[in-house]
Amino acid sequence: MKKYSLLLAIMLVVSVFMSACYGGDSAEEQNENNEGNESGETASDVPQELRVMETSAIPAMDTILASDTISFTTMNNVFEGLYRLSADQEPVPALAEGEPEVNEEGTVYTFKIKEDAVWSNGDPVTANDFVYAWQRALNPDSGSSYGPYLMEGKIKGASEVYNDGAAPETLGAVAVDDKTLEVTLEKPVSYFVSLMAFPTFFPQNQAFVEEQGENYASNAATLVYNGPFVLDNWDGSTDGEWTYAKNTDYWDAENVALEKVTFNEVKDPQTAVNAYEAGEADITSKLSSALVPQYEDDPNMVSWLEPTVFWIKMNQTNEALQNINIRRALALSINKQALTDNILNNGSIPANYAVPKEFVTNPDTGEDFREANGDMLEYDLEAAKEAWAKGLEELGTDTVELRYLGGDTESAKLTDEFIADQLQQNLEGLTIKLESVPFSVRLDRDEALDYDLQFAGWGPDYLDPISFSDLWITDGGNNHMAFSSEKYDQLLKDAESTYANEPGKRFETLQEAERVLLEEEAAIIPVYQRQANILVNEKVKDFTYHFVGPEYSYFPVSIGE
Amino acid sequence: MVNPIKRIPKEMFEPKRVDESLAEKIEKPSLSFWQDAWLRVKKNKAAIVSVVVLTLLIIMALIGPYLSGHTVQQNVEHANLPPRIAAVADVSWLPFDGTLKNRDGAILTPYEDRQITESYWFGTDSLGRDLFTRLWLGVRISLFIAFLATAIDMVIGVSYGAISGYFGGRVDNIMQRIIEILSGIPNLVIVILLILILEPGILAITLALALTGWVTMARVVRGQVLKLKNQEFALASKTLGATDYRIIFKHLMPNMVGVIIVNMMFTIPSAIFFEAFLSFIGLGLKPPNASLGTLIEDGFRVMLLYPYMLIIPSIVISLLMVTFNLLGDGLRDALDPKMRD
Amino acid sequence: MVGYLLKRIGLMLLTLFIVISLTFFLMKLIPGSPFSAAAKLNETQRAIMAAKYGLDQPVPVQYLKYMTNVLQGDLGVSFQFSNTPVTELIAKRIGPSATLGLQAMIFGTIFGIILGVIAALRQNTWMDYGSTLVAVLGKSIPSFVFAAMLQYFIAVRLGWFPVAFWRGYEYSILPTIALAIFPISIAARFMRTEMIEVLSSDYIVLARAKGASSFEVAFKHALRNALIPVVTVLGPLAVSLITGSLVVERVFAIPGLGEQFVTSINVLDYPVIMGTTILFAALFIFVVLIVDILYSIIDPRIRLSGGEN
Repeated sequence: MKKYSLLLAIMLVVSVFMSACYGGDSAEEQNENNEGNESGETASDVPQELRVMETSAIPAMDTILASDTISFTTMNNVFEGLYRLSADQEPVPALAEGEPEVNEEGTVYTFKIKEDAVWSNGDPVTANDFVYAWQRALNPDSGSSYGPYLMEGKIKGASEVYNDGAAPETLGAVAVDDKTLEVTLEKPVSYFVSLMAFPTFFPQNQAFVEEQGENYASNAATLVYNGPFVLDNWDGSTDGEWTYAKNTDYWDAENVALEKVTFNEVKDPQTAVNAYEAGEADITSKLSSALVPQYEDDPNMVSWLEPTVFWIKMNQTNEALQNINIRRALALSINKQALTDNILNNGSIPANYAVPKEFVTNPDTGEDFREANGDMLEYDLEAAKEAWAKGLEELGTDTVELRYLGGDTESAKLTDEFIADQLQQNLEGLTIKLESVPFSVRLDRDEALDYDLQFAGWGPDYLDPISFSDLWITDGGNNHMAFSSEKYDQLLKDAESTYANEPGKRFETLQEAERVLLEEEAAIIPVYQRQANILVNEKVKDFTYHFVGPEYSYFPVSIGE
Repeated sequence: MVNPIKRIPKEMFEPKRVDESLAEKIEKPSLSFWQDAWLRVKKNKAAIVSVVVLTLLIIMALIGPYLSGHTVQQNVEHANLPPRIAAVADVSWLPFDGTLKNRDGAILTPYEDRQITESYWFGTDSLGRDLFTRLWLGVRISLFIAFLATAIDMVIGVSYGAISGYFGGRVDNIMQRIIEILSGIPNLVIVILLILILEPGILAITLALALTGWVTMARVVRGQVLKLKNQEFALASKTLGATDYRIIFKHLMPNMVGVIIVNMMFTIPSAIFFEAFLSFIGLGLKPPNASLGTLIEDGFRVMLLYPYMLIIPSIVISLLMVTFNLLGDGLRDALDPKMRD
Repeated sequence: MVGYLLKRIGLMLLTLFIVISLTFFLMKLIPGSPFSAAAKLNETQRAIMAAKYGLDQPVPVQYLKYMTNVLQGDLGVSFQFSNTPVTELIAKRIGPSATLGLQAMIFGTIFGIILGVIAALRQNTWMDYGSTLVAVLGKSIPSFVFAAMLQYFIAVRLGWFPVAFWRGYEYSILPTIALAIFPISIAARFMRTEMIEVLSSDYIVLARAKGASSFEVAFKHALRNALIPVVTVLGPLAVSLITGSLVVERVFAIPGLGEQFVTSINVLDYPVIMGTTILFAALFIFVVLIVDILYSIIDPRIRLSGGEN
């Protein structure tokens, strides 16, 4: 018995080594094959296959349940809504046949749906598919979070359906006929068509969804597609590897080059880069800031400024932070340039504003949002010290202690240490108590206003400055810092009602509101606007990214030489 | 002619007088258990070297932070500088010349480029803090966490294991069930809870490590007690009327010292490593505190860009581990009563 | 023996029950919201979401409901992976983790024991120091650094193995080595200590005196007794593999249970944390039972006793 098991043990060890050799050989073979592909074949018959790395598995494929970028990106590629975002970040009609008809008040949109748009099971895409999906999103039992978030206050009746149990049919979305969808809004929403590119507003095939019941969207087989690709291999939301295949039934299939896209879940950014370097994948996930400097001059690194701004919230229930001079002093005393150059070192830029750069433009003049207001709350040590002294005098004290609630991610940790140090070094008598907590705990404490300073960021969901501006309305759902300015509230009200149908005027009002927020109130300390950097193999042509909602579109992509 | 037999004088056959008082005399000096152990540790060169290195590391943890002339004050203009020691900067095989290689193999000279005249022996981190100072502060905190956690571990684990194993029966049964329940909850869950309930920091981590670590010690000690308690020497002293307390601590314990020490020599590095692991999944020490674990974790993020940030703390942590292990071995051999020569 | 086993299994279930209850209540103490989109929802929307998942009810009611469901094999549905049953999440992810864990355990303990025996037999020679060095280095380099080094040098530079992902056997080799280094060093250290001790005991001296070859002495007489303490560390070792898998799965981008567990903790996906905890706990309790049984087989001096007799 004993000898036997020893023998078994030795055999196992040997077999591990032997398999190890086997593994080595096959890996080499693969490498050789890859090299063969790269050099031997001509552009015309290069396999149209792409390998991409993502930071997480797909959490949800039911459009109304999704609340994360990976899900939205996948939906953007396998489903389609009335609109899509183009490579220039403009909403362009997709399922919609041309631009919608809009009534004079800007509250009723009538969309025509493309005649040849079909689901992958052969059913035509109808107006009722939209009505069904939206009603489902507003049913509290379905557990949608983005449904109510994006629809309440915009689509007529949405709030009543979700909160008060009104009949779903009272929702302001009606199928006039099979191919005509009429949407009634609560008030004019100038960016409404760009919302139509957001997956929460995508259609769902009612007959199919009801037939699948509980199982709907639980894996590739229980889904029906109407986008450029179909999910070919997806074993449900825990699957770490999934693939797209080209959807031959797609109305624009002839303009889709890729035959197959393979995705892998990779959490560690260094691993992603290693796999890219070894030729095991073509596109990395976003690089962590420590990796960016290594590829600084690499032509394969694609970088873009994201419309995501990081700032420090100042809780005005704190006595010291109620003082405008104290707030201003804090805001002026951080050397943001040193932060972006030395610590982030990934192309992110200092933010002296609350609404990001290269995000939205004035609909009348085409000017960037930033042109009119320029830089506000710029680093200015002299002015900071002056304001600090004045603030302390008004408070009648010479020391202030503030709790600083930071994030717990790697770059957040360094950023927090830097900012805490800057504040303490530059403002005499200030003590910062650094507290790093996990994200979910930070949200809790944010809501309970259990902090003095808090490092936070915001990425928008649709292309309109209001997605940033309405954060700071008195008692707004995301204010959570007891900031309240009558002037600011009034400006936002004007923008949303008085100037609702005058886009240029509305835009300028929102710019004025930003000036009030920062220049007059110093309500938040803007810190930086983030840059995204990823590595894309040079063979990949027309790589396309987006600012809001879904991050990437793969249907314009092709594989070249 | 026959050689005459040499006559032996009669006086030589005088009988030796037996001195009763000398019969019990011990020629070698009397040695206590620990003196004896020390004699044998001294013979083990590896253990002696380890003691020296370990002592040096501990001394450095105490005085190192004040040697370099730099503090851990942030200074972004001096961020990410590679190590440079002026005295050996010209020795080509030593990596202290203040240069860095980038991904293409080109040599960068950040000191010259930024016109920095002072030298940082172990370089600086991305906030421009002196890594020499930070390293020894980190060693200090790591050692503190490890020693404290191990001490708590040992006290709880040994008593628990000994009592459980010695009394056996129902006591053992109940105590083993408690252990199973405690260790059935993955460490991570306990650690996370403690970190969330207590103020995040050194105390939370130490407590979490101690509370989850003693179980191993208890198991090992129980196993030994089970093995030893029915052996003749234990039975003998029981028959002679020794109390349970005396049997456990005077008779069984010396026989287990080896195993306990080996276990401790695993617990100390385990504590240091679990702390490093916690940093890796984002639950480690919070800034501005730094431990060896967080330093390695920080270096790991920039592994290919600034390798020195990973390599130096990794070498120190390895030194600590190696010396603890070799010393543990030496002590084990020395303390084991069965190993006397 | 059968009676003893039944008794132990009964106790296992009781233990599991206590573990589940304890974890449940501890979990309720953690602050934070489990909804990933929580940042963007207002209070009313959040309250409706909480009601949908039954989080608005008093804790004892939630507890009773959870326990009833667990008894029926239902571990609830995940928050982060919309509406996916936890059992399904675990079932799909356990494959790679179990494969890696078993491979590392078998390879690690066997290799470690061999290393330890060699060190003990050739005490204070270069072989002893060499195996000590391997064991010590295995423990000295943090697992994430070791895993990343293996990946960078063996896979990226030399190209012998794939860098990452989980597509076949060759993808499991580097992660297995990375995971096995810990069991190797633990097993080797313990084995050496015990082996040296056993080799100096009287019956070994006797065996030698009777002319048994040193191979026979080592493997026939000494190994069996020296293995006993090594068996006691197998349990904790199995658990350390779980901890290790969190790191290794992350570095090698393997879609396993460990990686999912960390993510779930970060986003407070209670049902998944609970479900995985129950699984880990069950596994651990099972391993302990096995260890106790092994113990009695290997060392006849220890008798399994049911308590009274």
